[in-house]
Amino acid sequence: MSIGMILLIVIALLILFGVLQRTLDRMALTDRQAILIAAAVFAGGFVPDIPLGPVTLNIGGGLIPLLVSVYLFFHADTRRERGRCIIAALLTAAGVFLIGRFFPADPVSMPFDPLLLYGIAGGVIAWLFGRSRRSAFIAGILGLVLADTLSAVILWAQGVSQALHIGGAGAADAVVISGVTAVMMCELLGETVERMTRSRAAGHTRPAEGGHSA
Amino acid sequence: MIKRICALLFGLAVIAASAPAAADETVFTACDIAGSIIFSICGELSEGDEYISADNTLYRITSVNGTQAIAEAAGKEPMPDVSWLSTGQARAVFADYAVPAASSGRNEKLIAMYVTHSDESYIPSDGTQSINGQGGIYDVAKEFRDALQAKGIDVILDESTHLPHDAGAYRRSRQTAERLLQHMPDAIIDIHRDGIPDASEYTCTINGENASQVRLLVGRRNQNSSVNREFAKEIKAVADSRYPGLIKDIFIGKGTYNQDLSPNAILLEFGTHTISKERVLNSTDLMADVVSTTLYGAQTGSAAGEAAPEEAPEKESKGSLTGIVLMVAAVMTGVLLFSFVQTGGTGPMKEKLTRNISEMTGGLIGRKNKQDKT
Repeated sequence: MSIGMILLIVIALLILFGVLQRTLDRMALTDRQAILIAAAVFAGGFVPDIPLGPVTLNIGGGLIPLLVSVYLFFHADTRRERGRCIIAALLTAAGVFLIGRFFPADPVSMPFDPLLLYGIAGGVIAWLFGRSRRSAFIAGILGLVLADTLSAVILWAQGVSQALHIGGAGAADAVVISGVTAVMMCELLGETVERMTRSRAAGHTRPAEGGHSA
Repeated sequence: MIKRICALLFGLAVIAASAPAAADETVFTACDIAGSIIFSICGELSEGDEYISADNTLYRITSVNGTQAIAEAAGKEPMPDVSWLSTGQARAVFADYAVPAASSGRNEKLIAMYVTHSDESYIPSDGTQSINGQGGIYDVAKEFRDALQAKGIDVILDESTHLPHDAGAYRRSRQTAERLLQHMPDAIIDIHRDGIPDASEYTCTINGENASQVRLLVGRRNQNSSVNREFAKEIKAVADSRYPGLIKDIFIGKGTYNQDLSPNAILLEFGTHTISKERVLNSTDLMADVVSTTLYGAQTGSAAGEAAPEEAPEKESKGSLTGIVLMVAAVMTGVLLFSFVQTGGTGPMKEKLTRNISEMTGGLIGRKNKQDKT
């Protein structure tokens, strides 16, 4: 493998690692915990999947993100926030399933990369319901896992024996990318709306201030 | 509130369960400014897509109106020099992209294959264009695998299905691709068939035998795009030299096709659904020879894989460099935009970026706010 190719792969991995670490750092985790979990997601992707009957669970792409989601869920401040997390996850699952069914099958037809679209849906839904980054992460992760499970159950009911792989692509899996994208989307929406609200409020008060100074 | 949410969830579940899988079969046609048809494809065309025709003319899609697109010619695409084919010398052309066999603990040439759209089938042979399970495309994949194995190449064909044929199919096959890549193959191939109704688009005769043409697809929305494109061009150049007419064309579209996972990833469209599978199977032998030659050189003996890595073409480095520059530029733009929206000004944005860099590097670079968590 040439040096150029090694560099290309290493830089891509570093970027993914950095984005994941910054995302985890934005929640109820310390810098060190965020780095350790990001490293575990990467390393866990190379460990053989855990077989659970017709389901296989990848450690890096499935188990660790799910455990982080559970940890964040129980670290929610109130019961109401936990409820919002569940609702956001269920709605995201429905959204992901519908995106899969109603959007064109060819990725060239998608407005965004499909991998990002699921996270964007999770982020928007989580922001609408809880304005919480934790909710967004949980919605992004659980929403995708639940949608995949629903797809698999429908196939099994049709007599198709297709295995359900949860997080099978490790750190590059849609589960991880969806969780990260959801947090970024939620944060972006929250900050934008907050700044717009602030600037509108400032606009309302400006004439009075101007009148006073004059 | 809870009742309303439950009703919403129930409604979504009913819609979701009753929704058909969106196997989109819309055919888009690209014409030049004079109105002559350049090519058709089952799948959407977008501005910026590129197309390398059978005679190696490069076209760019400049506008799209409904299912019609305008493709402007941009001259001849520079194709790789394959004069080494006539010398009969062993020369690894692309295998040196991959991890050398010795360092990966294996001694064999290795190619990995999978099928994203598991249902794809051929109407004249399979009776339908879509089978809810393993479609006729798996017969093509198996024949292709056997032909490669006959040339002394180890092939892992992952026969997992990725149903349904909807927008999530590539997400599911991404897991298969990642699993296959852990074996460190020299190339990873996604086997498909096209959905153009007109069979004559793909029928051809090669060396007096009825065969099917093969279209190569490259995703342009990933960091490996330049290298993948060179790989596709090399395959076409080898095929044009050995079996003129076998490769229909190269389409460079907006999608990723999981090609972000590997620089030696390619998507092959073996014919279309209205063509007979037997015709397609005839092409697998020819394609196996083309892929084998592209990856391992003109000879298929053990010497082929021993070519000196220093003979690697410069285009690989150029492709990698382009990928690195584009990826870093995209990330920098994204980070700056994200930070600007978050902070609303250049001053706070700079402060935030410095703090983040400091946190990520353990305080080695940038200043760390003393009040930050540790």
